[in-house]
Amino acid sequence: MAKKRTVKFVSLLFLLLMSFIWIVPLLYTIITTFKSEADIQSNAFTILPIHWVIGNYQDVLFDNTSAPVAKWFMNSLIISVSQTLLVVVIVSLAGYGYSRMKFKGRDAIFVFLMATMMFPAVVNLIPLYKIIDTLGWVNNNLAMIVPGATGVFNIFLVRQFMQGIPKEFDESARVDGASDFQIFIKLVLPMIRPVLTVVALFTFTASWNDFLWPSIVFNDVEKMPITPGLQLLQGMYSLDIAHALTGALVAIIPTFILYLFTQKYFMESLSLSSGVKG
Amino acid sequence: MINTGVKKELSMTAELEKNLGKKRANLSPYLYIGPHLILFAIFFLFPTLYGIYISFTNWDLIGTPEFVGFANYKEILFNQDSTFYDQLRNGLGNTFKFVLFTVPACIIVPLLLAAGLNTKPKGLKFFQALFYMPTLFSVSAVMIVFSMLFSVSFGPINHYLNVETNWLATQPYAWITLVIVTIWWTIGANMIIYQAALNGISKDLYEAAAIDGANSIQKFFRITLPSIRAQLLYTVVITTIAQFNIYGQPLMLTKGGPTSSTTVLLMYIQKNAFGSGNSIAGIGSAMAVILGLCIMVVSAIQFFFLRQRD
Repeated sequence: MAKKRTVKFVSLLFLLLMSFIWIVPLLYTIITTFKSEADIQSNAFTILPIHWVIGNYQDVLFDNTSAPVAKWFMNSLIISVSQTLLVVVIVSLAGYGYSRMKFKGRDAIFVFLMATMMFPAVVNLIPLYKIIDTLGWVNNNLAMIVPGATGVFNIFLVRQFMQGIPKEFDESARVDGASDFQIFIKLVLPMIRPVLTVVALFTFTASWNDFLWPSIVFNDVEKMPITPGLQLLQGMYSLDIAHALTGALVAIIPTFILYLFTQKYFMESLSLSSGVKG
Repeated sequence: MINTGVKKELSMTAELEKNLGKKRANLSPYLYIGPHLILFAIFFLFPTLYGIYISFTNWDLIGTPEFVGFANYKEILFNQDSTFYDQLRNGLGNTFKFVLFTVPACIIVPLLLAAGLNTKPKGLKFFQALFYMPTLFSVSAVMIVFSMLFSVSFGPINHYLNVETNWLATQPYAWITLVIVTIWWTIGANMIIYQAALNGISKDLYEAAAIDGANSIQKFFRITLPSIRAQLLYTVVITTIAQFNIYGQPLMLTKGGPTSSTTVLLMYIQKNAFGSGNSIAGIGSAMAVILGLCIMVVSAIQFFFLRQRD
C-alpha cells in the first residue's frame, strides 16, 4: 500500500533526524579527546583533529595528582563489582526465601517491603550519613557497597521469576533427600541465572553512575569513585575542553562495553520490570 | 496496582502450600531472608524513620538532637524573613518547574521514537542502541559533555548556529538547555518499554478500525493509547519521581544559576546538611520530608487519574 510506505518513509526521516541529535554529542566527545588543546584554541571548529594526539589520555589518567582519574576508575571498579556480588548473593537468598520457604508472616513481610518502595529515598539521606560516619565508613568503599544492597525491587524480580519455575522440581529433589540449601544451590540458582544477570547488570551500572550519595560520603580525593570525581575534574579543567572530555569519556567506557556485550539482557529486563506492573 | 497483583498471587501460592501440607517450623527461612532484612532495617528503614524524627529537632549532625516540635516547618514554610523560607520557595519552585518542563517531553519523545521503530525500519538495532545508550552514562560525564557543547565561545552549537547565546548563564536558555540534556540523557528506558508495549498490540484491532474508516489519529487515540495504558501509567509515575530528584544537571551545568533561577531543592538540602560551615540537618530534613511528601502526593494523583478512566 502506498500509504503504508509513506508512513515508513516519514518515520525513517524522523528517526534519522533524531539519531543525528543523539550521535553528535558522542562523536564530538570522542573526536575532541584526540585533539590537542592548542589546536582547539587556535582552530576551534575543524571536525576532525588536525593532529591526532593521545596526550590527553596520558595527562588525564596519569599526570594529574589533584584529579587522579586512573585511581578513581579503579575505586569505582572495586565498589561496583563488590556491590554487584553482594546484591546478587543477598537477592537470590531472599528471593528463594520469599517464594519457596514457608514461615509465619512471610507474605506480610514481603508486602511491607514492597510498600516501602513508595517511600521517597531522599528522607533517609541525612541519617544514613550519620550511620556511615558512626561506623567509621566515611571515605570507605563500604559506605557505598553495603547501603546499596537494601533494595527491594530486585527481590521482587527474582521472586517473580522463581514463581515461574514449577514447584515439582524442588519437591522431587526433596523426596530424594536433598536439603533446602542443596536445592537452592544445585537446582534453583542455575535456573534463575537469567534474572540474576539482569539484577547484576543494573546493580553495576547504578553503582557506577551514582552521584549524590558518593559525593556526600567521600571527601578524600584519592578515595573517591569516578562519578563524583568528574565534578572536581570539571572544576579543574573548566577551560580545558579536551582534557575535561577525555575524563568524561574514560568514565563511560565500562558501562558502554558492558552494554555492547549484554544488550539483549538490558532490553529484556526493561520490558520485564514494566510488564509485571499494571 | 502493585499490591493487588502481588496479593492475588500470594494467596494462590499460600493455598498451594497448604495443600502440599508440609510444615517445617525451623529457623532456616530466616537465614535466607535475614541478610537482606538486617541490612534493610539498618540502612533504609531506620534512617528513613529517623529522618522524619530529626525534621522535628535542631540537629547539627554532631550533637544530640533536641526536639523542637514544628519549629523547622514553621521556619521554612511561614517565616518570610528566614533565608530557609526563601530556599524552600525557590528550590521547590524550581524543582516543580523542572518536573513540568521535562516529564511531558520524556513521555512524548520516547513514544514517538518507539512508534517510529515499530515500523521496523532498516537499522532498527542501531537506532535502538543509540537512543538507549545515554541512560548508561553517569550524570557527571553527560554534563561535562553538554557544558562543552553549549559553551559560549568554544561550543560547536553556537558556532554552527552562528549565534552567541549564553546557554548556561542566561534565561530562558538555562532551562532550555537543562530540558534538552535531560531528554537526551534519560528517554532510553521509556522508549524500550513503549516498544515492547506497541509490539504487543494485536494487528487485528487496527485492521478492524481501518475497515470502519478510522484515520491514523483516531487509531492512535482509540487503539494505541488505551492498549498501552498500563505502561504509560508506569512510566509517567517512575519518570516523575526520577525528575523530582533532580540534582546533578543544574549542579554541574548551570551551577544553579543564573541568580539561583535553576537551584533545585536537593541542592539546598545538600548544602544545609553537608555544606561548609555548621550543619543544619534539622532544617535539611524538614525540607527533605516536604520534598518526599510532594513526590508521594503527585504520584498518588497521577495514579488516580490514569487509573480512573478504565
